[in-house]
Amino acid sequence: MVYKNIICPVCGGSCDDVQVELKDGTIDVQNACKMGNAKFQEVVSSHRLLKPTIRENGKVKDVSWDEALEMSADILANSKRPLFFLGSETSCEAQEVGLHIAEYLGGVADSNATICHGPTVMGIQEAGCVGSTAGQAKNRADMIIYWGVNALESMPRHMSKYGVFPRGYWAKKGRFDRTMVTVDPRKTPTAVASDLHLQLKPNTDYELLSALFTILNGKEPHPSVEEITGIPIPVMKQTIEMMKESNYVGIFVGLGVSSSYGKHRNIEIALNLVKEMNNYTKCNLGALRGHCNVAGFNQLASYLYGYPFGIDFGKGYPRYNPGETTCVDVLREKDVDAAFVMSADLVNHIPADAAKYLADIPMICLDIAPCPSTTASDVVLPGVIDAMECDGTFYRLDNVPVHFEPFTDSPFPETKSNEDTLKQLFAKVKAKKEA
Amino acid sequence: MAEVILKPIGNFDLTVEAEAITPDNFAGKTAVEIGEILIWQAPAQAKLSEFFSVEGNGGSSAEDTTITIDGDVPRVKRIGQEMTAGKIIIKGSTGMHVGNTMAGGEIIVEGNAESWPGMEMKGGLLHIKGDTLDHVGCAYRGSWHGMTGGRIVIDGNAKNQVGGGISGGEIIIGGNVDNFCGIRMNGGLIVVKGNAVRTTAAEMTGGVMVVGGRIEKFSPGFEMEAVECDLKFDDIECAGEFMKFTGDYAIPQKGKGTLYVSYENNECL
Amino acid sequence: MEALLNTGSTIDEGRLAKGGNKYSEDYKTECAVCWVCAEDFAALGCPEKVKVTSRDGVHSVAVSTKVTESVKSGHVFIPRSIWANVVVEPSTFSTGSPLYKGSPVSVEPTDDVVMDAEEIVLKLYMGEE
Repeated sequence: MVYKNIICPVCGGSCDDVQVELKDGTIDVQNACKMGNAKFQEVVSSHRLLKPTIRENGKVKDVSWDEALEMSADILANSKRPLFFLGSETSCEAQEVGLHIAEYLGGVADSNATICHGPTVMGIQEAGCVGSTAGQAKNRADMIIYWGVNALESMPRHMSKYGVFPRGYWAKKGRFDRTMVTVDPRKTPTAVASDLHLQLKPNTDYELLSALFTILNGKEPHPSVEEITGIPIPVMKQTIEMMKESNYVGIFVGLGVSSSYGKHRNIEIALNLVKEMNNYTKCNLGALRGHCNVAGFNQLASYLYGYPFGIDFGKGYPRYNPGETTCVDVLREKDVDAAFVMSADLVNHIPADAAKYLADIPMICLDIAPCPSTTASDVVLPGVIDAMECDGTFYRLDNVPVHFEPFTDSPFPETKSNEDTLKQLFAKVKAKKEA
Repeated sequence: MAEVILKPIGNFDLTVEAEAITPDNFAGKTAVEIGEILIWQAPAQAKLSEFFSVEGNGGSSAEDTTITIDGDVPRVKRIGQEMTAGKIIIKGSTGMHVGNTMAGGEIIVEGNAESWPGMEMKGGLLHIKGDTLDHVGCAYRGSWHGMTGGRIVIDGNAKNQVGGGISGGEIIIGGNVDNFCGIRMNGGLIVVKGNAVRTTAAEMTGGVMVVGGRIEKFSPGFEMEAVECDLKFDDIECAGEFMKFTGDYAIPQKGKGTLYVSYENNECL
Repeated sequence: MEALLNTGSTIDEGRLAKGGNKYSEDYKTECAVCWVCAEDFAALGCPEKVKVTSRDGVHSVAVSTKVTESVKSGHVFIPRSIWANVVVEPSTFSTGSPLYKGSPVSVEPTDDVVMDAEEIVLKLYMGEE
C-alpha cells in the first residue's frame, strides 16, 4: 500500500509530502531528500536497536524492557541532580513527559537548541523577531539571503520547497524572480548557486552586520572593517541598496551566525537590522533549524515553564541562564551526576571535555540505532520512530505545528511510542521516590 | 567590628548556591544560628554548617559584620547576593554570581571569580584581585539595564560582555577583555587598562569607555571626534593620548556614547 | 599550522548519520576528514593525514586530508561529527553553545591511525586516564 503526505522526521523542514510504500522487508520512498530517505530506511534496517541493553561490569547484555526501565528508574531516583537531554528527533508529547520528570526530580532539562540555535533564541529574546511562515517568503520574497548556512546540504529541500526555486504568488517565475545572496566563510554549494557570495572571514559576522547597519543609518563604517571582515565597503553598500530596492527580503540564518564568536549578539543585531529595514521594505528573518522538532522543544518549554531551553528545576521552580544551566556547561563543570538522553546523539555532538564526563556518569540513552551515545550508556532503551511508527506533533522551522500520523506500528509490544516509554519510566521513578 | 569566619569543609561535588551568605543575613546571629542557615545544593537544602565550619558571631547590624571565607570556594555561587552593607572577604576563588545585585558594602575576592560578578549591582564595592569570566556588572538576560551604581574593580582579566547594559557606576579592569565589552552601554564608566579583542562598546548609546591597550578588531559604527590627553574621571586617571570616538552609529541614535582608545597602541585606527 | 576550524553538515554526513550508520566505514571516510586549501596543504608537506589539536592542547584527533577550493588559507573544515567535536572549544561564552564555528586549532602532519567513531568513544571518552 502507498501512503501519501507522510511528514519527514529529519530536519526542521518537516516536509509534508513524502510518499512511502512498505513492501516485504523493504521500503520505497518518494519526494524525500538523501537524509530523509536514509531515515525512512531505518524502519527496515538491519542495525536498528530492537532490544534494551544494560552495561554490567563493562559488558553489554540484552535485558527485558522491564529490567531496563527498572535500572533506568534506579539511576534517576538515586541521582542527586540528573540532566535530561530531550532530543529533537521525537515528538513534543515525549518531550513533555521528559520535562515533567526533570521537574519532579529537580534536575536540569535541555534540548538540541542548546548546541544548535540556542543563541538564535537568546537573540530573539533580546531583540524581538520580525518573522513569518515559510509560505510568506515562498510567495513574496524577491531577495533571499542565506547567512551562515549551507542550505543545500543541511536542509536540502529548503531552496526547492520554501526558499529559492518555487513559483510564488508574487514571485511567479521562481528562481528568475529572486536574487540569492549567501554569506559564508566557506565557498559551499549554496554559495556557488548564489548570485552574490560574501565570503567573510570566520567570526566576523557581527562586524559585517554592524557595518551594514551603520550604512543603513546613513553613516560611513570605520574603514578597518574591510580588513576585519574581508568584505569591501562598496560591496556592503551595494548589498544594503539591493535589500532596500527589493519588495521582500527573506533572511535565513544558520549556525554560522549563532555558533561563531558573537553568538546571540550576532542574531540580536541582525534582528535589529531587519526591524530597521522594514522602514524601507518588507524584511524578515528565520532560522534553518537542524532537526524536525528542535523548534518544538523551545515552544513547549516556553509555554510550560517560561523558558525555551536550559531549564534548571533545582529550586523547585524553573530557572534559566545559558552558560550555567545548559547541557554543555553543566557537563563541563561536572554539575550533574546522571543523564537521560533521548533521541539525540549527544556524545557525538558535544566537545570532548563534556562528552568525557557524560561517559563517566550513569547514562540512559533512548535511540533507534547504534551511535557513540549508546556505546557510552549504561542503559539503552530502543526508540520508536516518530512519524513512521506513532503519531504526535512537531514544530517546523518557522514554528508552525505539524501533526504527523504513522504508516506502520511500533515494532515493540512493550511500548507504542517514546511518549509511552517515558510515561512508564516516570511511573517507576515516582514509585521509587515515594516508596 | 564582628567577624564571622567560614572555612569550607563540605562536599562540593555539585555546586552550592549560597545567597544566604551576606552580612545582612548574619547580623544579630550567633555562630550556631549562622550554622543553621539553609543553603542549596542542587534540589536539596542543607545547613550551612554541613559545608562550612563557623567561627565567631555576627555583629549587631550588617554594617557591623565582616564575613571571611577562609579558603577556595570555586563551586559556591551567589555569595553576597543582595547585600546592603558590611564586608565579605573571600581568601580564594569563588563561583558564579558573587555580589549579584548588591546594593552596598564591600566584597573582596582574593582569587578568581566565575561569570556574572556584580550583575545589576546598585552600590558598594566589588574587588576581584584575580581574573573573572563573563558578564561582569551585566544586565540579566533580556533586561535593558546592567549595573546602576557602585564600583567593580578587577585586577586581572575578564572575558566577554563586561558591563553589558551598564547605566551607572564604574567598572575598572586591570587586565584584558575579550568580546563585547560594554555592549549596549548607556551610562556609567568602563576603564580597560589592557587590550580588547573585538566589538568593544558595541551598540553603546551613552556613558564613557576607555581602552588603554590595543583593540584587535574595532567596532565599525564609531566616528572619531578628537584627540585628548590624560583623562580624569573623579578619582580615576588615565594617562596618555587618547582618540575620542562617538557612537555606536550602528544603532539608530544620536551617538551620545564616548569611546576613548589609546593612541599609542592603536595607531592604525 | 594554526588555523580556525569550521564544522558543519555535508549531505553525505547527514545521509549516514540519519540512516544510523555512524559506525560504518563510509561515515569515517566522509567525516574524519580535514579540508584544507592547496596552499596550506603544500605548506604542511602534502600529508595524507593530519593531527588536529585543540587550543588548550589537551585534545587531539587524527583525520585524513582533503584539498578543496572552498576554504581560504588559515581556515580548515571538518564535517560535523565526533572527530570534529573532539577539538571544538568547550567554552560557551555563557550561551550554552560551544564554538562549532571558528574554533582555534593547530594542524600538523601525522602518521597516527584515524580511529573510527566507536574507537573514539571507547578510547578517548571511556578509557582510563
